[in-house]
Amino acid sequence: MSSEQFLNIENILFTIAMVLYLVSMVLYILFFALRKEKPGRGAGYLTAAGFVVHTAALIVRGIGAGRLPLTNQYEFATSFAWGICLCFLIFLWKYRFRALGTFVLPVIFFIIGYAAMQSREVRELMPALRSNWLAIHVSSAIISYGAFGVSFAVSFIYLLRSRMENHEFWNQHVPGQEKLDLISYRAVSLGFLFLTLVIVTGAIWAERAWGSYWSWDPKETWSLVTWIIYAIYLHLRISRSWKGKSAALFAVIGFICVIFTYIGVNTFIPGIHSYA
Amino acid sequence: MKQKLKFFISMRFALILLLILVAACIAGSVIPQKQEMMWYTAAYPEAVAGAIMLFGLDDVFHAGWFVALAAILCINLLGCNLIRFPSLIKRTSEGCRAEKLQKALPAWMSQRVAETTEADSLFGTLGFRKIQETTLQDGRLCRYSVKNRCGIWGAWICHLGMLVVILGFGLGQAYKSEYTVYGVPGQTKPVGDTSYTLTIDSFETLLRQDDTVEQYTSSLTMTDTATGETAGGSVKVNAPLSLFGMRLYQNATGWAADMEVKKDGEVIQNTTLCTGEYAAVEDMPELVLTLAAFYPDYAAAEDGTPMSLSGALNNPAYLYRLYYEDQVLGMRVLQEEEVITVDAYEIRFKDPQMYTLIQIKRDPFTPVAAVGGVLVIAGLLLAFYLRTAEMTAVRNPDGRWDIYGHSRKGGEEFLETIRGAVSEISSHEGGKEQRT
Repeated sequence: MSSEQFLNIENILFTIAMVLYLVSMVLYILFFALRKEKPGRGAGYLTAAGFVVHTAALIVRGIGAGRLPLTNQYEFATSFAWGICLCFLIFLWKYRFRALGTFVLPVIFFIIGYAAMQSREVRELMPALRSNWLAIHVSSAIISYGAFGVSFAVSFIYLLRSRMENHEFWNQHVPGQEKLDLISYRAVSLGFLFLTLVIVTGAIWAERAWGSYWSWDPKETWSLVTWIIYAIYLHLRISRSWKGKSAALFAVIGFICVIFTYIGVNTFIPGIHSYA
Repeated sequence: MKQKLKFFISMRFALILLLILVAACIAGSVIPQKQEMMWYTAAYPEAVAGAIMLFGLDDVFHAGWFVALAAILCINLLGCNLIRFPSLIKRTSEGCRAEKLQKALPAWMSQRVAETTEADSLFGTLGFRKIQETTLQDGRLCRYSVKNRCGIWGAWICHLGMLVVILGFGLGQAYKSEYTVYGVPGQTKPVGDTSYTLTIDSFETLLRQDDTVEQYTSSLTMTDTATGETAGGSVKVNAPLSLFGMRLYQNATGWAADMEVKKDGEVIQNTTLCTGEYAAVEDMPELVLTLAAFYPDYAAAEDGTPMSLSGALNNPAYLYRLYYEDQVLGMRVLQEEEVITVDAYEIRFKDPQMYTLIQIKRDPFTPVAAVGGVLVIAGLLLAFYLRTAEMTAVRNPDGRWDIYGHSRKGGEEFLETIRGAVSEISSHEGGKEQRT
């Protein structure tokens, strides 16, 4: 099969995955709005199906492009959505917390929608991007951002939870604030570890490619800002007086920083990473 | 005084510092850096431009206050780690915790988590290895174990790593030497103010079938003019070369051309000029020329703007600027065979070729920062995934064991794990009994 044929198949698989995510999102919203179990259960299966198709799309693109599909704005956006979905499914399986989907799926759909708007053209890599460190750097970013996406949704639920204490559906389907705080912490821990890996591997790659491991490039700077925001979150959780709402707020701000680091910096502030 | 010192190394102060650092980073990324005052006054209202210059926001990451902020953060990290070190040592080297249980029971042993007849297999299932035994004040037999004790060092190692990263980066900024050398094959250039020279033996551009660049490779020879020692090798993008304790990077490339000067029809000078470089006519030093830009496949746009149709050398053209006693004498695009005539001098450009730009760096503190990075990752792994947990089993007169558990980071999740393991063991034992 030619490269073009592979990319055509990827195109179809990507569209199917996007549709599956869209339907899952609608079902999750119905589950929450109508307070009925059935759409929620269906949404979980559809999300898993969407994830499988999405994985196949990424593999097919990788074969078609002859490299890991992690090097331009489209490829990273679709991988970013894939990372959030992967983390969501892991947390769903571990904590049996179906209502999480109502808040995570819109994030996945937003990111994959952004990917759909980008150019899908496969271009040959410029010499600086031809590095094994790139694969580790970007793969770590996908896991990190995915985990932060989940923590954003959990923290958002946490902030709403206190207003819904007497709500039967919430009490039945949404864990208590302590559990939500723990789930958010677990997601942030995973994301923070991988974000640190992103920064360290990015520094190693930059040192080899440009001779400077840190140059205060806007993307680097915003990764550091995101890292500090989550570091503040982790410290706030230790302190009893700041634990809970303040920490949840920082997890939400942290994810806004993640989105800005990824989309905002490339769009508004030019730098070394602008080619991505 | 002691109170002030305590605040200086407190977590609250660290959080304030981190928030200021965030604000500084945002300012440094949003405000264009290292511009002239005039640029800021043109881009912003006068008061804003004044504030930018006053607070050093035109070069945030090199401003004195930013360096001071980093230094205070280092002191805070160091103080925080020093204060916690004795207690961590104590907790790590603590002897038999079971003996302590004889005197008083900890708060977490006030509520039983589960009950089982198979305490030993429960310890094994949950990964508790060293089990200590003691007798409580009421005469009941007690077994105690702790796992992942080294997890308590996670945050400490992470903070140490951060400290090492900041110090490594700061010292690197202060003591590193950096030079840029560019030229075409055959040229030998000095490496800044050092005793070394760099000879560019060859420069190759590897193209793909679609004419995009796959790799740039420079073959280089470095010579220490003080000792006559030489060393060489190839440098590629993403594959730096180490020579004489320095790292050489294939950093950029561009076009160069020979500037030929004739006087009365006779060649009197031949100088290779890279784009952006200046050269004086040796015979008439007040006459200076710069090769402002080069177009390998020249064409003029509708509005007359020069452009290149491709990267191939199909129709080379040179944009030059000519100065006489620092005054611009002329500027235009010169095509092959065209000449600039000034009095008796005829100047033309010829033989365009790619030049290579090599960055040379010596930063003895890069490995320090790398060690710091590894420490941060190791610390986070320990802190997040080696959660210290304690478990106690107390035997009742009927032979059953009361199970108690505690994990500061594992929380309720650890207790759930104990309950899950107990029910799994019970069902397994039940199955065995049924079979027999």
